[in-house]
Amino acid sequence: MKRSISLLALALTLAPASALAQPLSIPFTKSKLANGLTVILHEDHTVPVAVVNVSFDVGSRFEAPKRTGFAHLFEHLMFMGTSRVPTKAFDGWMERAGGWNNAWTSEDRTDYYDVAPSTALSLLLWLEADRMRDLGPLMTKEKLDAQRDVVRNERRERTENTPYGVADTRIPELLYPDSHPYHHPVIGSHADLEAATVDDVKLFFATYYDPANASLVVAGDFDGAATKSQVERLFATIPSKGKAKDPGAPGFDDTKTTLTSVVRETIEDRVELAKVFMVWQSPKRYAPGDAELDLLATILGDGKTSRLYKALVYEQKIAQSVEASQDQGTLGSQFVVAVVARPGVSLDKLEAAIDAELAKARTGGVRDDELSRAKNLVDAAFVTRLQGVRERASLLNAYEATTGDPGYIERDRARYQNATAKDLGSFALKVLLPNARVVLRVVPKKEASKGVAK
Amino acid sequence: MIVAAMGALAVACGTHPPAPVLPPPTVATPTPPPGDPAAADTLGPRPAVATPGAFKPPAPIVYTATNGVTVWLIERHALPIVSLVVSIPTGAASDPRGKGGVAKITAQMLDEGAGTRSALDVSRDVDALGAQLATDGDADSSWASMTVLKRNLGKGFAILGDVVARPRFEAREWKRVHDLWTNSLKARASDADATARVIFRSALFGNDHPYGHPWDGTSASAKAVTLDDVKSFYASAWRPERATVIAVGDVTKEELAPLIESAFATWKSPAKSEALPIVTPAAPKGPWPRVVLVDRPDAPQSVIAVVRPGVAASDPDEAPLARVNLALGGSFTSRINQDLREEHGWSYGARSRVAFTRGVGQIVAWAGVFTDKTGEALKALLDDIDDLAKKGLTLDEIEKTRWQARAEMVEAYESVGSAAGRLAQAASLGLGPDYDARASVARDVATGPDLNKLAAKYFDPREAIVVVVGPRAKIEAAITAAGLPAPQLRDADGNVLGDKK
Repeated sequence: MKRSISLLALALTLAPASALAQPLSIPFTKSKLANGLTVILHEDHTVPVAVVNVSFDVGSRFEAPKRTGFAHLFEHLMFMGTSRVPTKAFDGWMERAGGWNNAWTSEDRTDYYDVAPSTALSLLLWLEADRMRDLGPLMTKEKLDAQRDVVRNERRERTENTPYGVADTRIPELLYPDSHPYHHPVIGSHADLEAATVDDVKLFFATYYDPANASLVVAGDFDGAATKSQVERLFATIPSKGKAKDPGAPGFDDTKTTLTSVVRETIEDRVELAKVFMVWQSPKRYAPGDAELDLLATILGDGKTSRLYKALVYEQKIAQSVEASQDQGTLGSQFVVAVVARPGVSLDKLEAAIDAELAKARTGGVRDDELSRAKNLVDAAFVTRLQGVRERASLLNAYEATTGDPGYIERDRARYQNATAKDLGSFALKVLLPNARVVLRVVPKKEASKGVAK
Repeated sequence: MIVAAMGALAVACGTHPPAPVLPPPTVATPTPPPGDPAAADTLGPRPAVATPGAFKPPAPIVYTATNGVTVWLIERHALPIVSLVVSIPTGAASDPRGKGGVAKITAQMLDEGAGTRSALDVSRDVDALGAQLATDGDADSSWASMTVLKRNLGKGFAILGDVVARPRFEAREWKRVHDLWTNSLKARASDADATARVIFRSALFGNDHPYGHPWDGTSASAKAVTLDDVKSFYASAWRPERATVIAVGDVTKEELAPLIESAFATWKSPAKSEALPIVTPAAPKGPWPRVVLVDRPDAPQSVIAVVRPGVAASDPDEAPLARVNLALGGSFTSRINQDLREEHGWSYGARSRVAFTRGVGQIVAWAGVFTDKTGEALKALLDDIDDLAKKGLTLDEIEKTRWQARAEMVEAYESVGSAAGRLAQAASLGLGPDYDARASVARDVATGPDLNKLAAKYFDPREAIVVVVGPRAKIEAAITAAGLPAPQLRDADGNVLGDKK
């Protein structure tokens, strides 16, 4: 498959009226190696930079019982070396060439990326091929222990020692039943991280780090033909046992919430100002209602004229800040409203004010001018995201992983473009149920005992 | 990690990238992999990496508009986007004594109603364009920035012109902004990293120094700041003859010039107020406390840091010093990250940074570490710094940092927002439009002996201040066991508490 509309064409096709007129695309070619590895090439010589992005179809929802946090811990272990690449050399050789790298893990997938001067592309590909081929069988307890400690410190730093960070680990547990794959947070528990073994690592690698379970993007300043043959030489002989099975979420349906009441909890934290989180199960990525709820989140919480900001911060002066988001996932999404209270404001009063705004959205829908504002903001983000070769590589693999089509950007935009005010109202009514949600309060330690919460 | 939270797109606060020119010869030696000969055959030896070509940051076109505004333009036509920054060479270092935060809050008030638009109108109209507007300030500069689709450039400029030249400063908006500001300062005390940043400055510079207070002030200073202070700061700092307008993106000079003329036509410096002097603060002077501790009861981690005086941005040492910093704590493979994280697992990451300021700023190396390992980690951090200062960089680090510095500069100029932010920083510090080009060369040509001299001069930890934000009851003994004196205790705003033991 080859797409050929160039980014350069954008500047020439500016329709004056709608922000949504001109097509966006990232030119690419896609092929599959005999072992099942998907290969996507995006050639662009604007800057002398090459990017490699490798995405594996595995995330925290694939984890075995009592092994929460393992997919992310494994991500750290991918940098610990092989027989060709001693521990620390993956980063050492890459940075020595002027490059750098990083990786992230979500509930649904794990993504690795390397950025370097284009002269170092061969090295990047060689390093990625090496670890995709050999990392698992060469795992040792020393390597595992080293990253286990790092990850436990990541948990301490990002959730335990960061104001309101505790919500990130608690919300999934409150929102989903025990048996749902999204029930536990990506970072996992200290106990489960401690329990992970070298055998777990080897099995996980053999199951999920199979070339048939991965997609490789090469983007930037390179010669297409030469790189294609290089990728084949380095990756095509990595053995495959086939694509890993996706356990999905048997028995669950993202269009039917499992919550049957308001699930309430109050947590004390090292914070000065209390914060209320309201969270709903919402339609999965690309499902009917997903784009509509994403736009509704923008209408509710993005900018001074958003409904929640205007009502709670600007007019009633009871909130310090507001956020709203549709956090998209493969099995289902989370719709989140989070509001920081001003000092001395009762959280009952704050919740009532939030509920009043949500009720308006459920019963009265949204206005056309609000929808148009949200569409403009979303569309501008689509355009600005295409500036960097790293972001383009990431987007190609994100679309490949979630739709099987790296060139899905125009269809993705169209979902937002085609959303109507009526649809936003009906999905608000259907999804933002007042009696089927999580309400989590994070309150200052010293005030917790004063009975602020109901 | 710590990296100062900045509201604006990319303006300021970065590590300093570098770039091009000399070809350092470096081709990695292929090493035959041990074991698994079949795989070795398949992958072949580790590929050699050829020296990347030189990268010279683009030089902006420079001209002066009719009302005195200086304009820097870089054309970039790949995507229909333009980034604009109005950069002012005055920031928190010019806050009146006791009124810390005025420069920053003045910038933040600019979009709270401007021209014919109310605060909500500004926000609504910016959103309608799909644009992003930010107004903010740091130590030596203030700015208003916008990224906007090319076809909305005219409308975007009209809003930016209002915000910069015609802010309303209405009392009712001020009341809300001031309330939110006061609350955010309260909240800052519960954030360990933000608290550490306050302490770095108060301990190194002292509360009376222009760089000694946080840019967003303290609870006490915020209380003292009035709307009149804001109006007066605006009149003496936000003046067209002081401003540089940066434009990067899909726009030509012919398109840009009339937009600037009309947006800023009525922007005039008020006759009755004088321009604030452009301050170059004096270098910080000791004696300094050796150890400063902020108690954070029951915290699972301690933020530990080593702080000492750095260098002024205009100093010839500044550009090559970025390479020494890269070796110590500027990247993943840097010494302190490898030691505290990869070697010992005490931390999720350790980094260091050299402040980029008009006067001598600070150099900080820091990490969040597991509370139980606070003492060991502090000792290791100090030893790593001492080792670099005494012995200099390894040959491998000398080569690595040259390549990293080049690559950083390439990436810094990749997006219009990042490029505009870099230029705005150079403009506000008076470094000139060719600063990045010159600094890139200076970083590139620095030799091992040059870098080693800089390491000795700027990284000696013996006179540095150790800052710890963590649970006192659990870590105080470990601090002294690491060979350090008993800590001076401070509150989260930097005030010294009770008896110094």
